[in-house]
Amino acid sequence: MKPENLLRRPQTNRKLTTGCEILDGCLRGGIPCDSLTEIVAESGCGKTQLCLQLSLCAQLPISLGGLNGSSLYLHSEFPFPFRRLHQLSRSFHQSNPSLYSNHNDNPCDHVFVQNVHSVDHLFDIMPRINGFVGDSRNRLPLKLIVLDSVAALFRSEFDNTPADLRKRSSLFFKLSGKLKQLANKFGLAVVITNQVTDFVETSDGLSGLRIGNLRYLCSSGRRVVPALGLAWANCVNSRFFISRSDERSENDESGSSYVSRRAQRRFDIVFSPYLPVASCEFMITREGICGVQA
Amino acid sequence: MEAWRLALSSSIRGKLISAGYTSLSSISSVSSSDLARDANITEDEAFEILKLANQSSGSNSCNGNRSLINGAKNAWDMLHEEESLPRITTSCSDLDNILGGGISCRDVTEIGGVPGIGKTQIGIQLSVNVQIPREFGGLGGKAIYIDTEGSFMVERALQIAEACVEDMEEYTGYMHKHFKANQVQMKPKDILENIFYFRVCSYTEQIALVNHLDKFISENKDVKVVIVDSITFHFRQDFDDLVQRTRVLSEMALKFMKLAKKFSLAVVLLNQVTTKYTEGSFQLALALGDSWSHSCTNRVILYWNGDERYAYIDKSPSLPSASASYTVTSRGLRNSSSSSKRVKMM
Repeated sequence: MKPENLLRRPQTNRKLTTGCEILDGCLRGGIPCDSLTEIVAESGCGKTQLCLQLSLCAQLPISLGGLNGSSLYLHSEFPFPFRRLHQLSRSFHQSNPSLYSNHNDNPCDHVFVQNVHSVDHLFDIMPRINGFVGDSRNRLPLKLIVLDSVAALFRSEFDNTPADLRKRSSLFFKLSGKLKQLANKFGLAVVITNQVTDFVETSDGLSGLRIGNLRYLCSSGRRVVPALGLAWANCVNSRFFISRSDERSENDESGSSYVSRRAQRRFDIVFSPYLPVASCEFMITREGICGVQA
Repeated sequence: MEAWRLALSSSIRGKLISAGYTSLSSISSVSSSDLARDANITEDEAFEILKLANQSSGSNSCNGNRSLINGAKNAWDMLHEEESLPRITTSCSDLDNILGGGISCRDVTEIGGVPGIGKTQIGIQLSVNVQIPREFGGLGGKAIYIDTEGSFMVERALQIAEACVEDMEEYTGYMHKHFKANQVQMKPKDILENIFYFRVCSYTEQIALVNHLDKFISENKDVKVVIVDSITFHFRQDFDDLVQRTRVLSEMALKFMKLAKKFSLAVVLLNQVTTKYTEGSFQLALALGDSWSHSCTNRVILYWNGDERYAYIDKSPSLPSASASYTVTSRGLRNSSSSSKRVKMM
């Protein structure tokens, strides 16, 4: 058993760009490889958008912040947004003409989609995923795995009894252990999305347990907590939180006043082993996610 | 047995007997400093005499205070040893204060807390700080970092190492105002090189590595701290037999304790928190169960208090229960800016 020579590692972990400079700025380059990154958000905030965008960015060359690899998108929520992926892919193609010399080259060719309907199913296909990652004869090597979402895998099958919760906990660690092993062996970036549940005060005070930089997480004007609890929080290396708030502004234009509603989306770092506290605002456009300069 | 039978030079024997030490039992019941003072000899000579006395009286029954069993020490010697033991600073003086100066060597310290509270940061800070040279009050040692979770980032370690070197340079510049502040030989890259980093991906790898540590440290005697980040991760998976898990964990804890004592190094085990169902309600507790909680000498719990990070001495044989605040900055662990708050004693 030999220790690793830390000087042989690159000084900064390889990072996958998010496709947006401002977001990359918060993340000091992007999503790190050899690490499990969790994105927590309520539905409709943009986590799937970000994941789709990351899946495309993975095929960028390393000089442009990509990983020169293909992505595996494991989705547990239906339906998979194929149309949105194609839309993003088209604009991706347009903004990177040098990469796709052939008109028939489709960025979508490098995004592999697999649906997962339960935790057991995911464990069943793990060996296949292992083989898929290791074998890269006809395509770009796999460099990104997205799991969207982990909450959907676990929420239906377990009751709220201590025994079931314990069983569920041990599955979290087993899943996380396997994904981290893959990430370490092949230098993959792994992105996992998670849902939120409403915050409900309990007498023991544990539901409001603070985890990370934010005292509490708010989205759509109400307090939320990430799903799957404290046990799952121990399984990921970094956690990011996306929230939305509806901003109402009254505009008075040429005599007629109207109220406009703008969905403001915010990206926060909850905890990370190397990032300082940071936060930024972003929008979702046709081309994808783009940050808003503060 | 009489003192004059000992194989000493006649002058020393004379001094010994004239000081009144005529029997072996009288010699073996005194400390070397007292003997040196009474017999007007140097402490080294006194030590030699005591060694000889012990060797010859070892096989006979003796009513001295010194134990016959080789290797057993009396409490006096142990106190001397403990007081002179070096400690590893955490770079946060408030935290060092409640720890009695820093993380103590020869002990196993468990540090636990919620995700994001700074466990990995403390681990990296300690693996850098153990390397602070003796001229700066450090141990000048190396570190073993066992990463089970993949949270160790080289860029973060480099950041902390650079800040450490800058602090040392500032210190020399301050102490030697007339000299240029370039006395520090260490470079951040050297610091990285002195961290023996092991990435462990399963519990079997973890057990194998722990078993191998004795040999590794024998070959790298300047290792002064072993950090495991975290000890828990691979053990919270499905263990079919919880009894087996407890047994494996206690064997591992025992190995760490032996390593700490044998090589006089500090073992720091980072742990996670979980909710425990006791007395009808859920409470926060460190992971790995009740039997594990007996395995470490010292236990520190990290927690949030409002917007500040706090560390609390939960278990220690010698330190009082106290808590202190700390922050995690880009330079590593530091005092929180509101350190005008005094350390709270319980």
